[in-house]
Amino acid sequence: MRPAEEIERLVTDAQVTMHPDVKGDALNELIGELGRSKTIRSADAAPNIWRIIMKNGTTKLAAAAAILVGALLAVYNLGPASVALAEVLAKVEEVKTYMYKVDVKVSGPVMTEISPWGQDMTGTVTTSKDFGIKQNMELIDPNTGATTTQEIYIISDEKLFVELKHEQKRFTRSVLNDDLLARMKQQHNDPRELIRQMLEVKYTALGRSEIDGVQVDGFETTDPGISSTTADAKVTLWVDAKTWLPVLVEMDMRINEQGRIRSTYHDYQWDVPVQKSDFVPVIPDDYEAAPGDGMAWPEMTEAAAIAGLRLVADLLGRYPKQVSMVELMQELSPIVFKHIKRDLPGDVTDTELETTMIEAIQPLQSLGLFYMKLVEDQQEPVYYGETVGPDDAETVLLRWEISDTEHRVILGDLSARTVSAEQLGELEN
Amino acid sequence: MEDKLLIWNLNRGDTDALCRIYDKYRDDLVRIAAGLANDVSVAEDVVQEVFLTLVRSAGRCKIRRNLKGYLTTCVANRIRDLGSKKSAQNPVSLDDIEPVASDAKGPDQCVACDEEFESIYRAMALLPYEQKEAVILHLQGSIKFREIAELQGTSIKTTLSRYCYGLDKLRSILKSEVE
Repeated sequence: MRPAEEIERLVTDAQVTMHPDVKGDALNELIGELGRSKTIRSADAAPNIWRIIMKNGTTKLAAAAAILVGALLAVYNLGPASVALAEVLAKVEEVKTYMYKVDVKVSGPVMTEISPWGQDMTGTVTTSKDFGIKQNMELIDPNTGATTTQEIYIISDEKLFVELKHEQKRFTRSVLNDDLLARMKQQHNDPRELIRQMLEVKYTALGRSEIDGVQVDGFETTDPGISSTTADAKVTLWVDAKTWLPVLVEMDMRINEQGRIRSTYHDYQWDVPVQKSDFVPVIPDDYEAAPGDGMAWPEMTEAAAIAGLRLVADLLGRYPKQVSMVELMQELSPIVFKHIKRDLPGDVTDTELETTMIEAIQPLQSLGLFYMKLVEDQQEPVYYGETVGPDDAETVLLRWEISDTEHRVILGDLSARTVSAEQLGELEN
Repeated sequence: MEDKLLIWNLNRGDTDALCRIYDKYRDDLVRIAAGLANDVSVAEDVVQEVFLTLVRSAGRCKIRRNLKGYLTTCVANRIRDLGSKKSAQNPVSLDDIEPVASDAKGPDQCVACDEEFESIYRAMALLPYEQKEAVILHLQGSIKFREIAELQGTSIKTTLSRYCYGLDKLRSILKSEVE
């Protein structure tokens, strides 16, 4: 008699395969039915790029900034400054505290193959030069209609990042280093940064208009230099014609072939009275520390970036095609996740899985953050991951400027060195 | 992860997502349905109905567990609803059973399957329905015993017993077939 395992194998492996023509006819019927369906939701809802990228715990604000407003930090050719816009910047720089509301809509498969989560976001942000940043966001999952709320605090004097997820009754705390804290405060949807960047690229004055009864003047740019993430971005700024302070900011950025992020910043309030206690989170007693609580933020150093490249080379035998945060996560998050899941015991809990994922993905986050930092710091990084592999020992994989005459290079074997412009030319030839 | 993304895209009316879901699970569901119903035509109809239901729910489809498990459960429920269970519950002899792989249904329903698998399907047709259901859903549908027990409205212990009895009986049938 056959052993039971043999019977199980036979049943498991038994195949019934349809003729392709039959499958084609059946599928055509389904496609037709899908076209007739009257119940399809609008395409507004989309994967939550926030949770997709930032679910992993530690890159949250930095990556968010990279996509939404930090993406505006690339500086290319300086254009002629407008007196009017420069005056707007001067007015805004006088402000110590401001509040605004934000609405973000993500459309299209921004992060394919990674996650089903698609969420519109709406919320309020309060920024104080002295105390820090507080952000209250509401996220809506289009799959379930479920609304989740989160609070994020960046506390200046404690150099602390705190996130509260109320539905989950969880919180995450991370200590920020000086560099990251400065960058976050600088980037976090700061209208000053936006205006600075608009002043440095080609923009047009839209003239006078009216928003909610307020006379406004508009400025708009589609200059590729406005975004370090995409060449397809449009930013429109409307300022109060009397006060010269922003009233409305609209951003529309294409993230990939089908994905877009549209964000609106509105209802600005300037010099609102705040207290230090407004920027101190209150964590209820019954909230638990989330996976990743207490972990350090990914480093943005050259060594950490090399560790990220090494991780990918070990996993795939090649380097990532791109190293901007979005593309990096798009390409590699599912692969890392799959490897982790495969190596963990079957009875691992969701929390253990999430914690392991957060730890494992940190080198990738470091790589993305390091590249982002190079872009932001105008060090003109150039990456050749699509053509250079681990076997290309003397070929430049990533390079960036460190002075007018010197470049830093990471080669295909992941060694790093400083070279002159002439040496760089030889390496790249 | 990918399945949830596919469902999300299907909910937005994405034809590519539908095609990918269909290509990914159609054959698996047909073989499960064929085993449960002892009838390829019924299996094809049931699976098509399940996909049509999925398509018609586009925009409000919420899959809380894995998509394959969801679709497999839909197939099993529909076969029960259709009364296939009733005919399948009546033990039949090997001579009464048409091979699943038969081409006799015409070229438009050509089903490929080798001899070994053919004999397995013929043997499974002789099992009491609940035993067969436990065996097929667990081995071909990767459904957990706990979930099969919920589907069958019984305890996990009973489902495990049905599974073991089913395997024993398959062994006996295949042995007698050889002899």
